[in-house]
Amino acid sequence: MKQLQGCADMENSLELIAFFLLAGSLLTGALMVVTLKNLVNSVLSLIVVFFSLAGIFILLNADFLAAVQVLVYAGGVCIMLVFGVMLVQRKDMRESNPVNRRFLIAAPLTGALFLLIGLVAAKSPWVKEAGEVPENTIEHLAPILLRDYVIPFEAVAILLTVALTGVLLLVKEVKDNGRSS
Amino acid sequence: MNIDFSLLITEISLAILGLTVFTLGLILPAKSSQKGLGTFSLCGLLVILALTIASWGNQGETLGGMYLADYFTSFFKILSLTALILVILGSKNYVNSQIENHLEYYSTLIFATLGMIIMFSAGDFITLYLGLELMTISFIVLTSFRRTNGKSLEAGMKYLLLAGLSSAVLLYGLSLVYGAAGTVFIKEIAGNIAQGYFNPLLIVGLAMLIAGFGFKISAAPFHMWAPDVYEGAPTPVTAFLAVGSKAASFAVLIRVFLGAFLEMQEQWTMLIAFLAALSMLIGNLTAFAQTNIKRMLAFSSIAQAGYILVGLVAANEAGIKGVMFYSFIYVFATIGAFTVVSEVYNKTGSDDIADYAGLSQRAPLAAVVLLISMLSMAGIPPLAGFTGKYYLFITVVQDYLWLVYLGLILSMVSVYYYLRVVLVMFRDEPADPAPLKLGSTASLTLWLTLAATLFLGIYPWPLAKLANTVAIAFLAGL
Amino acid sequence: MLENIFVSSLNWLKNLMAAVELPAPLADMLILVIKLAAILGFILINALWLVYMERKVSAFIQGRIGPNRVGPFGLLQTTMDVLKLISKEIIIPAAADKKLFLLAPLMIFVPPLAIFAIVPFGKGMAAIDLNLGVYYFVAMASLSTVIIWMAGWSSNNKYALLGGMRVVAQMVSYEMPLILSMIGVIILTGTLNMNGIIQAQEKVWFIFLQPVAATIYLIAALAETNRTPFDLVEGESEIISGPFTEYSGMGFAFFFLAEYANVLLVSVMATTLFFGGWLAPFGWTFLPSWFWFIFKVYIMVFIFMWVRWTFPRIRVDQLMGFAWKVLVPLAIANIFLTGLGKYLFLS
Repeated sequence: MKQLQGCADMENSLELIAFFLLAGSLLTGALMVVTLKNLVNSVLSLIVVFFSLAGIFILLNADFLAAVQVLVYAGGVCIMLVFGVMLVQRKDMRESNPVNRRFLIAAPLTGALFLLIGLVAAKSPWVKEAGEVPENTIEHLAPILLRDYVIPFEAVAILLTVALTGVLLLVKEVKDNGRSS
Repeated sequence: MNIDFSLLITEISLAILGLTVFTLGLILPAKSSQKGLGTFSLCGLLVILALTIASWGNQGETLGGMYLADYFTSFFKILSLTALILVILGSKNYVNSQIENHLEYYSTLIFATLGMIIMFSAGDFITLYLGLELMTISFIVLTSFRRTNGKSLEAGMKYLLLAGLSSAVLLYGLSLVYGAAGTVFIKEIAGNIAQGYFNPLLIVGLAMLIAGFGFKISAAPFHMWAPDVYEGAPTPVTAFLAVGSKAASFAVLIRVFLGAFLEMQEQWTMLIAFLAALSMLIGNLTAFAQTNIKRMLAFSSIAQAGYILVGLVAANEAGIKGVMFYSFIYVFATIGAFTVVSEVYNKTGSDDIADYAGLSQRAPLAAVVLLISMLSMAGIPPLAGFTGKYYLFITVVQDYLWLVYLGLILSMVSVYYYLRVVLVMFRDEPADPAPLKLGSTASLTLWLTLAATLFLGIYPWPLAKLANTVAIAFLAGL
Repeated sequence: MLENIFVSSLNWLKNLMAAVELPAPLADMLILVIKLAAILGFILINALWLVYMERKVSAFIQGRIGPNRVGPFGLLQTTMDVLKLISKEIIIPAAADKKLFLLAPLMIFVPPLAIFAIVPFGKGMAAIDLNLGVYYFVAMASLSTVIIWMAGWSSNNKYALLGGMRVVAQMVSYEMPLILSMIGVIILTGTLNMNGIIQAQEKVWFIFLQPVAATIYLIAALAETNRTPFDLVEGESEIISGPFTEYSGMGFAFFFLAEYANVLLVSVMATTLFFGGWLAPFGWTFLPSWFWFIFKVYIMVFIFMWVRWTFPRIRVDQLMGFAWKVLVPLAIANIFLTGLGKYLFLS
């Protein structure tokens, strides 16, 4: 609240409102992913989470990252999850994402970890040297990806090749005689 | 910003080799001709090893410190390449009879090695993490390679889930460190800390890094996956996982913890010492109850991780030297043992210790190599393992005497379960007295590992001196 | 005068707001809302009109007359249809997942609306001139899949579920060649901004520089809009309209109109990427730029309809094989050739 009053500028307060809205939907969505009994609903809440995250990226002037978030996560990863859900469908979808008693152990533990990190982060001195955000962020991407970070970039290329061939190998049909086709 | 390609010679040639194997496998028509892929990869790897050794003196960094090439990386490059060569050489029989997709097998092995090399040559967290993932994902594929075998698939699944979890923890730790230190470059983090810049969030990040890497080196309490995965994976993959993945992760541990957080030493040495003690305890004590030799070796490897961690506790050049020396001799002992296991499995179809009865009569060479490898792991003089443990434990005598006592006692204890296997091999009568014929390449591997273990035990100075030079250069280069 | 009719009326509105001294952020938001409302109206009217056009075109191809009773030449036919659908009861199946079932038709217009917001309908006539442009289009378009799948799954009906599965498989597969075919154009222009892409076609349209990419784009776009020959998703004769089986009344009308909104959308993208957008051909600038844009879009729409009434439906295995074994390699080869060509000739 104190921060809210401090922001006399209207644009800033709009941004603040947007942030709280997005953060709220993000956290609610994340909680729903974990607690909902129906796996399909969980996946759909995950999309809400990814979307809110994209919104937060936009607030931080990282519009390319936001688009990546929507394309890769909301549009790509979630679709894959949907496929997975459909293929392992249970008799009753309403019981497909059950909560067991370990929840009682996991919840306090993660809560404590969250508190710890939160407290430590709140007490930490932060380096605040945000540079000026360029008007056009995407133009700078190519040199960064293909020159400065070329080794990680190529490593990713090989990683994806390995992952693809590995997946193809593992899911290839197995004939009755134990040999693959 | 120009790239100095001469520093990347190992990486580029490994990538080319992997892709060539892949393409060759697709072009070659008959299934039978694919068996030549192993020989082809072997020749290529030997050439790359020679290139790497030849470019030993070629040091520097490229891409603004993102990619490093120093003695330290050269040492571990040679180590991982040697391990891969020995694994491929020793497993030709096993691969020909148990694995049907040679092209994916060999190319994935090569890419896993590439991942390791990228990992310990990384000068920043992004490169490091991608190298780590390349290695891990390759190993996930390799672990579940015998996909008609339920155990192999189970192992792959477990490795996938737990590796994913540990990667997430590691990545979270890296992001906390990045947030707290303001940079992803290992050298700059060290510089920031040296300037008195301190942030309590760094310690949380450090704890998560230890958990993430602890998984990769299978240190207790992050060891749960190791026995199941070691048992289910194809045996050559197990050997490479035990040796390569572990050595690479130790290299990265040294790079990150000594390279970036040396100034914060008092914050993390105690934690690592605790992990080391726990790993030694759990590894050695649980190994007693095992009846499957691969599970027993898995628990023994957990204990070995504990021993090697001791070198990290010391956090000085002697410690680094100990880790490097032990990692290298561990390559020979482990690959020797697992080659025997894979040959025996190939002939008898069993990994039970009981089925090793009378191995000394059926395959004397295999029995002797298993004996020597295990005694070396237990640390009996005059074998290499003894020298290695000596170098490791001598470094912490002053500050962590309890760790030394624990290590010594548990080493004694470990002799018991190693000797149990030996007893079965040498005392019991075989159920089937027919001689067990070893493959020619497997025999060559066994001879090589045997010779290396004996030689480095009796005359460790060349390797020790080399490790020492590298360790001094590493600390001087910080 | 005609050229600037939309831009100047918007400017007049802005001046009006400045005159009554609205705070600047509020005024900006208001302008944006007006722009978006105008776009929504544009989409809805066009969707209505396209349904009529489709029926007329199909009638022409099949040698029939088509709708001819309501209004002159049957022009009011679809308006009446929609009015009828609005008055119908919305039936929710007992076993359906109610919230999702109702949410899906409401959401179906969100991706097209979000994408139209960045489309330059004429010179300086984009509601939001986004630098991400094409990338934003791709990101938003990928969301339609989820919504149609939501409809299919929540109906709790085996035909709807089958349709939902087919939607996911088909749209994910054809997204690959669609995106890859755009990369050729992006390499040539060096920008993702849609206005930038249009302006780069001042001398020659990209259909002539990127014929392969254009062909791949058109095929993939057909599949993305789930129209014949790729309409296995709906497949009236086998799975009874797939995901939309259980929808009645307004829910059905929404999906029906959304299909035409998507057709419009891919035509708009095709026009922008390959046919010079709002640029006048042969320098015929006596007609305003927005006219040329709409004109080209309608030619594209007509081509899509022509294809629909000419080809039969293909099988599932043919569908997947065609995407992954033909279109994707071709698109990748096209990217390499384009890069090579640019390196050799333009630098």
